Amino acid sequence: MTRRVVITGLGPLSTIGVGPDAFAAGLRAGKSNSGPIRSFDASGFPHNIANELGDVHPSDYVTNIDPEAWGPASLAAAAVARLAADDAGLDRAELRRGRAGSVFGTTGGETRLHEDAYRKWLDEGPAAEFGDLVQKIPAYRLAVAANRELGIDGEAVTLATACSASNYAIGYAYDAIAGGDSDYMIAGGSEAMCAFAVAGFYRLGALAKDVCTPFDANRKGILIGEGSSALLLESLDSALARDARIYAEVLGYGLNCDANHMVSPLATSIAECTRRAHKNAGVKQEEIDYICAHGTGTPSNDSAEIAAMREVFGDGLPPMSSIKSMLGHSMGAASGFGAIASCLAIQDGFIPPTINLNTLDPNFAGVDVVPNVSRDADVRIVQNNGFAFGGNNAITIFGRYE
Amino acid sequence: MAVTGWGVLSAIGTGAEEFSENWGQRLSGRKDVTEMFEQKLPSETACAIPDFNAKAHLSRKGSSFFDRSTALSVVTCKLALEDAGLVHDPADEKTDRDIGLVLGLSSGGPQAMSDFIHEMYTSEKPYLVNPVLFPYAVMNGAASATAIWHHLKGVNATVSGGQMAFLTALRYARNKVRNGYVNAAVTGVVEEFSPTRAWASHQARAGEEARVDLGEGGAFFVLEDAQTVRTAGRDLDAEILAVECGLYGEPGDEDDPTVGMTQCIVRALESAGVAPGDVWAVAPSLSGSPKRDRIERAAITAALGTDTPDLLPVKELVGETYSAAGGLQLAALLAEHRKSPERDGEVSLVTSLTSEGMAGVAVIRGWSRATSA
Repeated sequence: MTRRVVITGLGPLSTIGVGPDAFAAGLRAGKSNSGPIRSFDASGFPHNIANELGDVHPSDYVTNIDPEAWGPASLAAAAVARLAADDAGLDRAELRRGRAGSVFGTTGGETRLHEDAYRKWLDEGPAAEFGDLVQKIPAYRLAVAANRELGIDGEAVTLATACSASNYAIGYAYDAIAGGDSDYMIAGGSEAMCAFAVAGFYRLGALAKDVCTPFDANRKGILIGEGSSALLLESLDSALARDARIYAEVLGYGLNCDANHMVSPLATSIAECTRRAHKNAGVKQEEIDYICAHGTGTPSNDSAEIAAMREVFGDGLPPMSSIKSMLGHSMGAASGFGAIASCLAIQDGFIPPTINLNTLDPNFAGVDVVPNVSRDADVRIVQNNGFAFGGNNAITIFGRYE
Repeated sequence: MAVTGWGVLSAIGTGAEEFSENWGQRLSGRKDVTEMFEQKLPSETACAIPDFNAKAHLSRKGSSFFDRSTALSVVTCKLALEDAGLVHDPADEKTDRDIGLVLGLSSGGPQAMSDFIHEMYTSEKPYLVNPVLFPYAVMNGAASATAIWHHLKGVNATVSGGQMAFLTALRYARNKVRNGYVNAAVTGVVEEFSPTRAWASHQARAGEEARVDLGEGGAFFVLEDAQTVRTAGRDLDAEILAVECGLYGEPGDEDDPTVGMTQCIVRALESAGVAPGDVWAVAPSLSGSPKRDRIERAAITAALGTDTPDLLPVKELVGETYSAAGGLQLAALLAEHRKSPERDGEVSLVTSLTSEGMAGVAVIRGWSRATSA
């Protein structure tokens, strides 16, 4: 049994807006909120600018769970699950009429709590008590929190495939709905700020000092981004039966692994992943209207990504922009934000910009990165790229429901 | 979905053959661990593998940066691939590309993360951390390193699940094998014994009733489409007939976990087309926590009836291996089958439950190996 799968709810909790309308407005306006890190003392780091949620509090968006009982990434996962279900017009009774579950991606999970526990251990010695923190650390609690918030009893899956994890999640949810395992699935990603990531990416030389400039000749790296993203997937029949608004159809996805290097991406493998995604989705490359790029702004990612897209698309490379120029790199939530942007591009007819672009890298001559200003466009099919450490590539394909 | 080979690292044996042998004798894995690390530990015993050394298992260089969890993953995966006869052929690029890896864990290598955080907090500057260790301290590090080592270019997924890590990974792998994304998915779980894990567990368990010792190890299974394997005339170690899971509540909740877990088992048996009375054994996650044990025992009895089948003492022998528990539970069942043709075709269950009320079950039909060894 294979059912068509559509997206009927969006739940972005981002640094440029909460909920689909505010997020869409932010993408169109090319918004960004980067600034000095506030969630911990980052003064010892030479590069300490990030995209943080700041005055946006996930606890304001949950109605069921006790915010004190969960780590920050789990709490935010619950918040976006709530946002997506509300946006889809689904309450608990309706969700439980079928089988409903969630699948969330993450890079760091609750690493911030691991840091807190370790700090306590260092400060207080063997007498330190941190058992309550330990119980909140397991990463799988992200999906558990989402299910709890919605009061649903289906599967709760957390995928820790780093920076492409949301696309992994969307792929899993797509198969679960298509194959009849579930009737409703929340899929997305959640990432909370932690010093661990700032230290690690700085030492890898992958962290920009003050601004993220994907595809620019002078790009220096990523800015770390905070945020969570969720989409509600259900079968087309289910959406039609309840007269739901359909943002887009999930056409398919592709996954593979470079199996080559722990941190350097491999263009030929990314190209192979792209071909797999197209084949799985049943689309031809010339049908893709927009590529929502992984576009981290590191020299190596952008070069490998464009080389891979050129290998697949040749002279027919469609517009390709990086929303990370606005959001920073929200890691496990990133390709979920890309998926939400893809849905909004299809529904509202626009392409989000790559902001902060000053001089396009001459090696990317001829590539339309939608510099600095969003553009009205008839967008029918979108390719959403997500790549991660270790060569965990995941590409999702969305199409207008028609 | 078929199991066509498996590998184990545990306190009671390395590799399917040795593990099966020692499991058959109900060998205990309990060991003195006081000399294992420089740091003081909260307990003198654990079902650990004190002499584990990745280099002794691996034929080439490149493993020196592996943290303990990554090393366990790379080596256990190797043992499973060898048991399935799927050893890498450098000339055969195509076959490699169609093998995926699904690794279940909880939150990455606990010691690697602590070591990294330690450097961050105690160095003169917080950024004076070792960049080479960073990718291994990130949660997908072990799965990535394992894929690199064994040239596995299909889907590479890291699934977090604690006690449910294995069954969640099994469902993930089924999703990919069934839909043709890969020809085979090497699917497994690991858990390390380290000072960080020992102290974290000690604190999280504080004030609770006595439990079995902590354990460590890994278990990997090569999964392929059962029909394809049969059509090719190849043998199966087991068939995964069904995997079901859900998230239920605290005891007494509207979503009573005992009721939820019972329904989960009933649904899995229905989906597998197996009558409750035909289940000969269960490899449960019992003995990790008295609170969870009460729920799991009640659910097994409610689903299978009072004439409950054998409950295998997995944690009593291999310890509380947390994220690796479900994998070692299945390994114990397959160990029962491996040299016992009289059990061929019999059906058993793996059951798991987390403290949050996440529960699951796999229905397994096993066969013996026609080994001359």
